[in-house]
Amino acid sequence: MSGFLVGKASEIPEGDKKIVVADGRSIGVYNIGGQFYAIRNTCPHQGAALCTGITAAFITSSGTGSFEYERDGEIVRCPWHQWEFDIKTGCMVIDPKMRTKSYEVTVERYDVSIEDQDVYIHL
Amino acid sequence: MEVTEVKIAEPKIKMKRSIIDVDIHNYTPLDEIKRYLPRAYRDQIDLWGWRLPGSLYLNGGVKVGQMTDSTPPGGGFPGSDLQFMREQLLDRYQIDYGVLTGSDYSCQASPDLDYAAAVSSAINEYTLEHWLAKESRLKGSVFIPKQDPLQSAKEIHRVGSHPDMVQVIVSSGAEKPYGHRYYHPIYEACVEHNLPFTIHVLMEGVGINGPNTGAGYVSYYPEYRASRPMVMAAHLASFIYEGVFEKFPTLKVVLQEAGVFWIAPYLWKMDEDWKALRFQTPWVKKKPSEYFRSNVRVSSQPLEPTPNPETFNQMMNSVYANETLMFCSDYPHWDFDSPLRAFPKLEDSLWEKIFYQNAADLYSLPARGAGKEGAR
Ligand code: FES
Repeated sequence: MSGFLVGKASEIPEGDKKIVVADGRSIGVYNIGGQFYAIRNTCPHQGAALCTGITAAFITSSGTGSFEYERDGEIVRCPWHQWEFDIKTGCMVIDPKMRTKSYEVTVERYDVSIEDQDVYIHL
Repeated sequence: MEVTEVKIAEPKIKMKRSIIDVDIHNYTPLDEIKRYLPRAYRDQIDLWGWRLPGSLYLNGGVKVGQMTDSTPPGGGFPGSDLQFMREQLLDRYQIDYGVLTGSDYSCQASPDLDYAAAVSSAINEYTLEHWLAKESRLKGSVFIPKQDPLQSAKEIHRVGSHPDMVQVIVSSGAEKPYGHRYYHPIYEACVEHNLPFTIHVLMEGVGINGPNTGAGYVSYYPEYRASRPMVMAAHLASFIYEGVFEKFPTLKVVLQEAGVFWIAPYLWKMDEDWKALRFQTPWVKKKPSEYFRSNVRVSSQPLEPTPNPETFNQMMNSVYANETLMFCSDYPHWDFDSPLRAFPKLEDSLWEKIFYQNAADLYSLPARGAGKEGAR
């Protein structure tokens, strides 16, 4: 199967991420709930390395003083101006037209059981 | 540990030419400036702590308002490591000169005037020794206890003629608008040492400073950011109507970090009022916008994004950006403006003014490239 080898799946535990360079592009590969997602490590705003920002929840509110946490671990906040992007789609949360590229990620399983699963991104 | 492996492809930097950045926040750790204080204050700090008023609002970023990626690799606070600052900012964006604006302005909100003066001096000594003596691209700002104009003037006379000190800096938060005659000793000293007087947003509503809006205190950080132009606007009108620029025609005032484009309708309004009400302040000889052009400079960050390029160009013209605007990044603060991406494409001569010449003229800095061989 074609694709860029990111590494062993076990290297990116749930809630963690790995930033790799594939084909000259810096890409963040995230493990959210056992599924892998990959987005371009470049913020469409002013070009910061987006995936070095914190992984967060989407915080909403039903009124002043109330903070509700949704989609924990599915949002990356840019290290500079804190714009929030949906890791699963690459879209900015409040303005989905603004997006960083997202890539398809697959996990390849080998027959030999002691081998770990490998994670690939497809550009 | 979140990042398993960081191998960031260097973004393609396409600076046209080298630039000047007029607002870089070097971190001023209190425990390091302590050694420059007189013994009595050191003893008191050991007993009771620093007795300095803090900031009112939550900030963005990490570690109170810093870029998440600006923590030096060896640890420590963002803006504290010269080598990392060179790599992440000065070298990367070809910055010929950067003006340091410090980080801790709390002494400018303290009611203890002598203590405020001692802390200001300590900050200046630290900046000279720890930053300016080590990197010739960096220039410094003289901190003053602005709540005591006579002691402020003394401090300007003490360090203001140092060749690497290029301006005097105060917080926008103040007890009185800065055009008030109470502050004149500061402007006399600024003029004597040919140093601009720079007002940087901070400490509004803190300590002895006035509330951050005329309507009272605000609740949230974005609301505080929205209030910054109000305070800065009050200072700008105060300089003009109190006749400061008539008394000190060579004084230059820099407005920092309160935004840029709000100035346009504000000048239109003041010009219109000047026509009608000129006789009430007859010492104001010129239209307010003329004083603005001759005596006031504005640094760019945070630049308001406009809904379209036409509006952007109109606003740039309306604030006389060609003469008054200077680029700054505000590094390493979370709302850092990238020299490459903060502005839309500019006409070449305008780019040259904003990214180099206006600052070079204001701070008497050499022409582009002249500092290259001078690295210490
Ligand atoms: S560069 Fe990412 S939010 Fe501005």
